[in-house]
Amino acid sequence: MMNSMSVPSKRSTLERKLDKLILTLFGGLFFMCLIGAIGSGVFINRKYYYLGLFEDVEQQFNPSNRFVVSILTMFTLITLYSTIIPISLYVSIEMIKFIQCAQFINKDLRMYHAETNTPALARTSNLNEELGQVEYIFSDKTGTLTRNLMEFFKCSIGGVSYGVGITEIERGQAQREGRALNEIQKSDTVVYEKGFNFDDDRIMRGAWRNERDPEIFKEFFRCLALCHTVLPEGDESPEKIVYQAASPDEAALVTAAKHFGFFFYRRTPTTVQLRESHVEKMGNIQDVSYEILNVLEFNSTRKRQSVVCRYPNGRLVLYCKGADNVIYERLAGTNQDIKRLTREHLEQFGSSGLRTLCLAYRDLTIDTYENWNEKFVQAKSSLRDREKKLDEVAEMIEKDLILIGSTAIEDKLQEGVPDCIDTLSRAGIKIWVLTGDKMETAINIAYACNLINNDMKQLIITSETDAIREAEEKGDPVEISRVIRDSVSHDLKRCLEEAQQDLHIFGQKLALVIDGKCLMYALDPSFRVDLLKLSLNCSSVVCCRVSPLQKAQVTSLVKKGARRITLSIGDGANDVSMIQAAHVGVGISGLEGMQAVMASDFAIAQFRFLKDLLLVHGRWSYIRLCKVITYFFYKNLTFTLTQFWFTFHTGFSGQRFYDDWFQSLYNVIFTALPVIILGLFDKDVSASLAKKYPQLYKEGIRNTYFKWAVVGVWAFFAFYQSLIFYYFTTTASENGHNSSGKIFGLWDVSTMAFTCVVITVNLRLLMACNSITRWHHLSISGSILAWFVFIFIYSGVMTPNDRQENVYFTIYVLMSTFYFYLTLLLVPIVALFGDFLYLGLQRWFFPYNYQIVQEIHRDEVDSISRTEFLEIGNHLTPDEARSYAIAQLPREKSKHTGFAFDSPGYESFFASQAGVYVPQKAWDVARRASVRSSKRTSQR
Amino acid sequence: MSPQADPAPEGDAGVVERRKKSKKPKYSRFTQQELPACKPLLTPTIVISTFSLIGILFIPIGLTSLSASDIVVEIVYRYDTECIPQQSQNDKLAFIQSSETNKICSTTLTVPKNMKAPVYIYYELDNFYQNHRRYVKSRNDKQLRSKAYEQETTNCAPEATTANGSPIVPCGLIAWSLFNDTYSFAIQNKVIEVNKKNIAWQSDKNNKFGSDVYPKNFQQGGLIGGAKLNESIPLSEQEDLIVWMRTAALPQFRKLYGRIETDLAANEQISVTIENNYNTYSFEGEKKLVLSTTSWIGGKNDFLGVAYLAVGSLCLFLALAFIVLYLLKPRTLGDPSYLSWNKNPDGHQ
Repeated sequence: MMNSMSVPSKRSTLERKLDKLILTLFGGLFFMCLIGAIGSGVFINRKYYYLGLFEDVEQQFNPSNRFVVSILTMFTLITLYSTIIPISLYVSIEMIKFIQCAQFINKDLRMYHAETNTPALARTSNLNEELGQVEYIFSDKTGTLTRNLMEFFKCSIGGVSYGVGITEIERGQAQREGRALNEIQKSDTVVYEKGFNFDDDRIMRGAWRNERDPEIFKEFFRCLALCHTVLPEGDESPEKIVYQAASPDEAALVTAAKHFGFFFYRRTPTTVQLRESHVEKMGNIQDVSYEILNVLEFNSTRKRQSVVCRYPNGRLVLYCKGADNVIYERLAGTNQDIKRLTREHLEQFGSSGLRTLCLAYRDLTIDTYENWNEKFVQAKSSLRDREKKLDEVAEMIEKDLILIGSTAIEDKLQEGVPDCIDTLSRAGIKIWVLTGDKMETAINIAYACNLINNDMKQLIITSETDAIREAEEKGDPVEISRVIRDSVSHDLKRCLEEAQQDLHIFGQKLALVIDGKCLMYALDPSFRVDLLKLSLNCSSVVCCRVSPLQKAQVTSLVKKGARRITLSIGDGANDVSMIQAAHVGVGISGLEGMQAVMASDFAIAQFRFLKDLLLVHGRWSYIRLCKVITYFFYKNLTFTLTQFWFTFHTGFSGQRFYDDWFQSLYNVIFTALPVIILGLFDKDVSASLAKKYPQLYKEGIRNTYFKWAVVGVWAFFAFYQSLIFYYFTTTASENGHNSSGKIFGLWDVSTMAFTCVVITVNLRLLMACNSITRWHHLSISGSILAWFVFIFIYSGVMTPNDRQENVYFTIYVLMSTFYFYLTLLLVPIVALFGDFLYLGLQRWFFPYNYQIVQEIHRDEVDSISRTEFLEIGNHLTPDEARSYAIAQLPREKSKHTGFAFDSPGYESFFASQAGVYVPQKAWDVARRASVRSSKRTSQR
Repeated sequence: MSPQADPAPEGDAGVVERRKKSKKPKYSRFTQQELPACKPLLTPTIVISTFSLIGILFIPIGLTSLSASDIVVEIVYRYDTECIPQQSQNDKLAFIQSSETNKICSTTLTVPKNMKAPVYIYYELDNFYQNHRRYVKSRNDKQLRSKAYEQETTNCAPEATTANGSPIVPCGLIAWSLFNDTYSFAIQNKVIEVNKKNIAWQSDKNNKFGSDVYPKNFQQGGLIGGAKLNESIPLSEQEDLIVWMRTAALPQFRKLYGRIETDLAANEQISVTIENNYNTYSFEGEKKLVLSTTSWIGGKNDFLGVAYLAVGSLCLFLALAFIVLYLLKPRTLGDPSYLSWNKNPDGHQ
């Protein structure tokens, strides 16, 4: 596959930063060892005769060769201080991440899609915390934002708007403005069918006959039923017929006509046959055959489609449907009222995110038609520039049209998409739409998803300009390349200037729309910087007509150029390269093929689950891992530093402060479990609050919790605590400690110090927790208890092995003194005093956002969502039931659809009708776009 | 599934079938991350009350400890320089290493306060790295424990065996460098008994040093490190050795020498006879003699008391300071205006 790339292995940014921290720790280790080594070289001296430094002493302590002493001590110290490197950290992180994936993400009921029976799936456990830092989302359109389901939703006929449905975007707007929408209860008779989601008692079931001007309704319905290129398939009954259409829009329109009582059931080479109901009088059904004289097909410059047909009674009519601006240019001068009203409706529909088409007709006299038809036949049979000539001929008859009304088709967004996008953008995430569709379609969807609104300034860089088109007509590849290049360069500069001005002077939000052909040049190294600068200034970016490879290029542009964390989401094979290129790839699973899912790191069933995946799981994972890492850093640093201070008092000899077993088990048993519990259960705010305050997510984008400053604070307190541990325990131990006057040895003091370290470090974890479950209690008290159990047993027995019984009975000796209890109370409290003061002051004077949110909701009990989840499984709401039913229907193969006629699948559809095999793949169109331009410009 | 959603005529069987294949995760509080949890907030109130609590708790403990430490009467006498005759002051090392010199040295100490028996006698050494790695490991616990392991001298080099290869018991540098100054006390020419029994921890005596292990070949080499041991007394009875071999944590340390089991009255003059044998002069170490009583807290050590008192008062002070701060500049809990996005509504960054 030309668009495939080698599969990258992904590591999270946090882990890469962790590597830096580990490197720093290695640096610290080296530094500490160096100090110790130099000290040992200076210290060693024959005057300490009790060390037995006579003639044949081993090299490590040979005073006559201090350099060798230093070098060898260095190695000793490296093993002694090696605890500073948290080796068990990686294991713990892996465990935590694995459980987060397998238990939390995969089993989250909030991300379970009942209709397709798909739970979320984490395909890698490497990237959980990356989800908490995403700043850019690159989204495919079809199948990701939309359901790829066109539904006839509203219409405007003769200046009156019909249809009672409410689109997602209207709902979202109302929610944002706090308006209540009076949702009309749908009557029971509402028809459930794919492509038709319309209800209005004024026109359904023949009721249109009672409207003011029934004639115009007939024109409207006939236009829908006649002016198309749909082929009916299967049984000729309204229930079983299947419409084969180039685009789902067309099928939706014909389906709509069927439900309005104009059932298109058969097409012959020259006729279209309709079964019309209620035309003459209510309840009357008759079959009518219309003769189709000419079809003026759709193409992207015409943006309209017409048929000329003859009624059985001989009436000649041209029906035309197309984009509003195209139709309005060609209307007859009469009936301004309808034009004005329809225009208003069109704008309404448009802002509701619906895809609109205008319908118009023109009665033809026989003479006019005959004259025109001659020219048409001529044009059709011409050998050169046929398409151009046909367009010109069509132009001659498509004029003086009479406006009937308009249709509004909902390119059905997936449930909750606008709301999700709104939430994500409030979370500081920028969403880019990368689609193979046409610019109009892409902009339309961007409006529908609330990515672009009328307050934004649109910056458009397109190859659909006259200059470029002219150059393309000449067909000189070098010239085309030069023209596009110049135009892109010019546009980029212009947009950048405007952007600077608008953004900084007027504070206006910007939206960038760019098409694939321009993108190809804009991604050129010489423009890349400008493009990046421009796009980073924009709140939303829409790239249309892009090839899969370009999707990946844009992703890497941001990933590498801006060094921000990127996420790609898509559902089809054309998104694979983009999914692989981004830091995190998300596949939409469920209905489509598996390629995207196989390439992805996470698979979810619906776009809206991204909200849970990022704001809840990602955020938590990020915060948890930051805590785990910094805590690990702290506990090992504290432990090692106490050892380090001791080195200064041992003549830099590298004597251990702690028994070998203490040191080995410190990370494995005495402090291991609580930090894993922290990594699994810590929750600063509940899931619902995390979604209610999406701004909290910004802390992850800014990497607030794993900055060097944060690490520095932990390091400072580790330093402070280690000093307390070492100096308090040793200083306090100098004299006899009970009335027997007996004196402690080294191992008594070290056991004391270690006890304090274990207790303090575990309690410090408790202070770092935002929510404390019984697992926290269990693991922390368990760890402390484990230490005491261990030391009771370990110091209570003598082994027959040949080893030093250093700690024999130390704990019992200690416990027979008041020193033990007084120190045990004093040292942890003094050690934690600093942290406590810091945490208290920090919350008091410089609170994090999450802390404020915690405080706002401090009295609320976490709602347990159990009942809510049980509901979902058993009862589907009618809407859900409907979409479930639709999901079960066999799906069409063509995936890319534009607005109404603007379907890329169009060409291949007719080709296949003509018996020419054209492979129709999801990415076909996008690729063709890029291949075509590359062929012409011989860029590759 | 609602009947509307399931138009297929397969009926109940179909529903059951689908239900069986459902991939819907099961609800559990664990997987939904809804485990019951308490959510402590470090509010100013809690900070203030914690500090007050610590203050209230620590100050009495500190006072008690200090007073306990205050009862203890301690006499410290540094003798390493004074016990060298005037003519040898310039070459202390030669003096101490020579076997001919008279190392007896006498002095009188005045008892500052009444000292109730038992009065503990300590020696204190300085600059003596009993915690040096080479030193700490230079012993063999197995050999010390049982006669059967007499031959075990691992780790003991260079004091493992004699020149002809027979093992030294007890082997190793620690035993070899055993402290050998002795002290005797008299009041008005009446000798005060020094009890040297039971000065080591019981666990060491009972388990670490065998009652059937007798010193052998000890201090027979060319270099004499310190004290000699009576070869007829088992190690478990050699309490000076046992005390010495519980190596100290820091280079400055005290070790228990013995006990005086008579009360010493205030202003009594104790004449002390010191046999100044031990060489600390080569490494400029100090030697001190300490007489001390004890209380429940042990010897004289103000550190714990002072630390408790200091931390306690600091906490009380902070609590007060925070109360004042809280009154002057109260911080409403959960005020949404503190949220960063409410602070600068225009800025998005």
